[in-house]
Amino acid sequence: MENEGSPHVIRRTTRSSSSSMPNTPNKIQESKKKVDSCSPSILDDLVSREEHVSLDTLVSNFPGRKLQILDILRLVGPLNSPMLPLYLYGGPSTGKTSVVLQIFRHLKRPFVYSGCRTCYNPRVLFESILNQLALHRRNLGNGYSSAKRCERPADFVTYLQELLTGVITSLKANSAKPGLLETGERASGEMVYLIFDDIELVREWHKHSGIISLLFKLHCYLKIPEVGLIFITNSSPDTYYLDTVLAEEPVHLFFPDYTEDELEQIFLRNQPNPKLYSSFLDAVLNPFCRITRRIDVLSIAFEPLFQKYCKPLSDLGLVPNRDEKRILCSYLNPHIALSTNEVFKVLSNSSLEVEENEEKAKKKENVRKLGDGQDPNDIDFHISISAKYLLISAFLASRNPATLDAALFDSTGGGDNRKRKRKSSETSKEQKEQGEQDLLMKGPGTFPLERLLAIFQCITSVAEGFVEEEQLKDGLLEVEVGDCGLMSDVLLQLSTLCNASFISRGESCPLEGLTRYRSTVSEDMALKVARSLKFPLSKYLYRR
Amino acid sequence: MSSSSPSSPSSPLKISDTTENNLQPFYVLHKAFPKKPDRKTRKKIEFSPTSDTHHHYDELRVEAFELVWSKIDARIKGVLTDINTNVFDEIHQWVCESFGAIRSLGVPSSLEVNRSYPLVTDITSSCSRRIFTGLVFTKNVEFVDDLLTFKELGVHLKSNGCHVVNMSSLDFLSKNGIGGCVRSVLRQLVGVSVDVGDIGILAAWYSEIENFESPIVVIIDDVERCSESVLAEFVLMLSEWVVKLPIVLVMGVSSFAKIVNAPRDLLPFGVLQHLNPCKFTLGSPTAILDGIIESLFVKSYCGFDISYKVMVLMKNYFVRHDGTVTSFIRALKIACTKHFLMEPLSFLSKGILDEDNESFWIEKCGGLPESMLKYAFDLPSCEISDEISLTGESLARDLSEIMKMRKNWSSVFMCLYEAAKFHNVQLLEILCEALNPDSYNLRVSSNRQSGVGELYSVDQKGSQIYLAIRKVRDLSFSALSRLVQFWKNHSERIAEIHCQVIELESMLNSEHENKSLKLDETKKSRISASRTREKNTTKANEKAATLLEFMVKEYLKPVECAQFHEIVCFKHVGVLQSSLIGDPRKIIQVDLLKSHNYLHCSCCSKSGDVLLPSMHDTSIMYTLVQEHGDLINLHDWYQSFKTNICRPSTKGKRKIQSPLSKKRKELSESEVMSEASIQARFCRAVIELQITGLLRMPSKRRPDYVQRVAFGL
Repeated sequence: MENEGSPHVIRRTTRSSSSSMPNTPNKIQESKKKVDSCSPSILDDLVSREEHVSLDTLVSNFPGRKLQILDILRLVGPLNSPMLPLYLYGGPSTGKTSVVLQIFRHLKRPFVYSGCRTCYNPRVLFESILNQLALHRRNLGNGYSSAKRCERPADFVTYLQELLTGVITSLKANSAKPGLLETGERASGEMVYLIFDDIELVREWHKHSGIISLLFKLHCYLKIPEVGLIFITNSSPDTYYLDTVLAEEPVHLFFPDYTEDELEQIFLRNQPNPKLYSSFLDAVLNPFCRITRRIDVLSIAFEPLFQKYCKPLSDLGLVPNRDEKRILCSYLNPHIALSTNEVFKVLSNSSLEVEENEEKAKKKENVRKLGDGQDPNDIDFHISISAKYLLISAFLASRNPATLDAALFDSTGGGDNRKRKRKSSETSKEQKEQGEQDLLMKGPGTFPLERLLAIFQCITSVAEGFVEEEQLKDGLLEVEVGDCGLMSDVLLQLSTLCNASFISRGESCPLEGLTRYRSTVSEDMALKVARSLKFPLSKYLYRR
Repeated sequence: MSSSSPSSPSSPLKISDTTENNLQPFYVLHKAFPKKPDRKTRKKIEFSPTSDTHHHYDELRVEAFELVWSKIDARIKGVLTDINTNVFDEIHQWVCESFGAIRSLGVPSSLEVNRSYPLVTDITSSCSRRIFTGLVFTKNVEFVDDLLTFKELGVHLKSNGCHVVNMSSLDFLSKNGIGGCVRSVLRQLVGVSVDVGDIGILAAWYSEIENFESPIVVIIDDVERCSESVLAEFVLMLSEWVVKLPIVLVMGVSSFAKIVNAPRDLLPFGVLQHLNPCKFTLGSPTAILDGIIESLFVKSYCGFDISYKVMVLMKNYFVRHDGTVTSFIRALKIACTKHFLMEPLSFLSKGILDEDNESFWIEKCGGLPESMLKYAFDLPSCEISDEISLTGESLARDLSEIMKMRKNWSSVFMCLYEAAKFHNVQLLEILCEALNPDSYNLRVSSNRQSGVGELYSVDQKGSQIYLAIRKVRDLSFSALSRLVQFWKNHSERIAEIHCQVIELESMLNSEHENKSLKLDETKKSRISASRTREKNTTKANEKAATLLEFMVKEYLKPVECAQFHEIVCFKHVGVLQSSLIGDPRKIIQVDLLKSHNYLHCSCCSKSGDVLLPSMHDTSIMYTLVQEHGDLINLHDWYQSFKTNICRPSTKGKRKIQSPLSKKRKELSESEVMSEASIQARFCRAVIELQITGLLRMPSKRRPDYVQRVAFGL
């Protein structure tokens, strides 16, 4: 099919200049200039109506993507030439989507884009494509409903065929129309391109496993040579072989990760003071590139660092000389080490801190620094005493093996246990260690409700002080409450803790049919809670 | 209390109908108030001729309750609004800033918004594809209080022109997936209910001109409860629309540490980097509670007081059990309802809210029927003994006295609390102490014995009031002058104290002048100057401390020390406790062991702890369980059950028989009761115990044992 030459004469098509589709980075002014049109025509809706970009600008906009751009242009082919399905893949933020969209802005050809992230199930995907092709605009008038209700893949193919034929006919008619030529405009041709972004997500639609192969085979189903298919994904084509037997192998095109030089070019694109920024990049780019080359991650990490870099400078327009560079670098170095760690570990933390520092400079009363004026050992939220005890019991129940409970909570306490351990022979010790290792690998253990309540009761009775107080209070009452003052609402507290995801409710045990629980708090947290209660938690912990 | 006892409400049905409707959950599973029924019957007999007047007073009480509660309610709302306003304004300002930042990336035209493909923005700018996210730190594991707060935040933002969506974890169920939350957003913003939520519809809606100028704020009130995968997907989806749809997220987070230290707890890294977070902090529940209590019981007087013991109970309930302001308010409402329900004269507290309370009381008290007056003078707090002064006028006088005393108490307590703030005391702590009539009596009596000076006995050294007074002695000049200024403003009601405060202020000022003079005058003798300064400050501090001591001693008289305080003060701590803390597990067990307390049958009541065959089967079974450990052998249990029910009631004194006699019995009684029926009764009782959650059925491992699940005994 692909060998079939274009039989049509290449003609220039017209377009109304009333509306335009900005599809450009940082071109706000342009979009402001545009007047929105209310009467959509095919070209208005499907062609990128942004100001035309020349090939040179296109290439220069995407440093390091020249090869890919030329490849795509070649594969898409000249005007009105049919194409094989195109499969673009590469890691996240390597410019796949942007490059494709900009290429269509350059080519001025009609296309339909659907991102599978936004279209999260087949129906949304189908209807989104059909809406675009039918030039359907959802608004209050039509109750924001779609042009066609379409759930089944078969319906989708039928509708798609209908609409595509219609669109292509009108495109042909349009291009055949003489006299409406506008100078400097490029033709849009008679091809329609369907772009599917993020198609790796389609595989995760559990109930609709057939969709991915439908999309790949769309070309065969439709049998319309004027339709071009472009798939964009971040997973390699090999991963799809299992899903689908492709009638026609799509053309693969790989977007590699950027190299360090390319990254530098990209980051220097829109800087007000490129010299200063380039000296900054010299310092940071190398250590960060060892960790990640994703632009989105890097740009988030660089922003606060650059601010720190500029802090000693009074004039941001300054071009630093060699000495100054060195001084600035030495100033920055400790931050880099910190920040590279954070990229992997707790990015939200670093960004929060940054946020906080900025905010603090702006309005001090607004944002409080992490734990300022507070004891770092404090728990930073309100939790009732009985919930605290329950949290500790849950932690103990998860942490300690159930067989140890009796030893820990009988009158002699944990000391007894330690003695026994010392006596044990080498082999049994090893076995024990092995067992402990297993325990550690398994993570916190599960426990039934009864065990939790038993431990809870034990440790609340340990806390003598509270009990006495409780009894003082309860002495006045007709209902003799005794020491279970903390017990009374214990199931409510449990549900509170479950809701706050301190305790997770697991699957029910297949043998006994009971719900089992698991504590998800860290030891630090449990210790903090215990400290706030003055409860000797470490005495009860099973140590290896 | 005398035999006439008009203490109970004459026909409480009406009140209880109106009030109990709101509080229903609290009455489930609670023990009925035992004395109520017989009181009611007694009164019916007594007051039948004057039921009209009593009906009248019932209505008055309902009226008074409504008035008082509406006042309390309004106060609480006011406090909550005050506390939240600042944070709300901050959030709004931040939303506006975020909107500005998003718009600075580009203002898309309405056509662009409707496009299915994303706008290509500069990826190197850190704002692109990142959603501004406000993490509102609620400082409480319970989220009940915050539901209302977030709703109000939504209203606040909406009134400031933002598009607001209030979402909860229910919109983020993994069952419904991402479709559920998109639908919820569409339903709230666009107002259409669609079967498939498509964010494109939101774009279409947003591109309409009237919607275009404001940011969209999505408030998720309890992020920690959301399904992580759905939340992650939602964030990723929104991040693709950042420029086209200026969405700002506001998330309620209970523990800040959880997000910072363990991002994996909530969101994967790839999602976190799409958030551009900013932290806000709501008032902690303790702070909110302090605010509410201050406004209700300290700053002004709403006509309803609670006694020391009730306050302690509510404090403990808050600290130990629930920890939500909502439940505290509910407890307060129960107390208030119960007070007006149980206290026949409580309608008089309406007078406190009256403009001209003297004449109100004189009128009302004058018109009181004999029985009510008698009731009033039978109140435990009444000290009048002679018959002559038992008039409505004296009651009215005493009520005015209470009110005056209460106002003095408020002013002095404010002064005390202000001083106590210097060492970070929680309001509830010191309030409880100030309300305690015992410690007041102790203060007064110890004062009489030891005269001026040592106000506190040794065991009271830990008291907050004592600490506050001691703290005043060590205050710096500026702190002290601030304190004195505060005292000056709040002591105007009490002339005696006001004079002394003014005196103190002038003393303080003159000292200050002296000090500065001295500093100017001689720099050589700096040491001596500083010494004198020290001395002077100590003198002023000493005076301030003495003054505070005096105030506490003379005016910090708890309302419970006044005559007739029962009329305005709720004291029935047991009633409140049984309403608040049902303790169902415990109650079920206690009741099972003492079923005759409820059944009131003639046969069992005499028996004491001995099991009788006439007792309820489940009760017998449960009593037998007490003899076993955690595991109960079914066979043994059945045998002892059988022995018990087959035993003729005349032999009821013996409890546990030897196996030999058991066997013999079995033989002899088997004719009377068939084995099958005993087994059926046994099974039914076991099932009942299982249903009440006291037992667990035999497991596969131990088929002939049931396990006890009994805790709390």
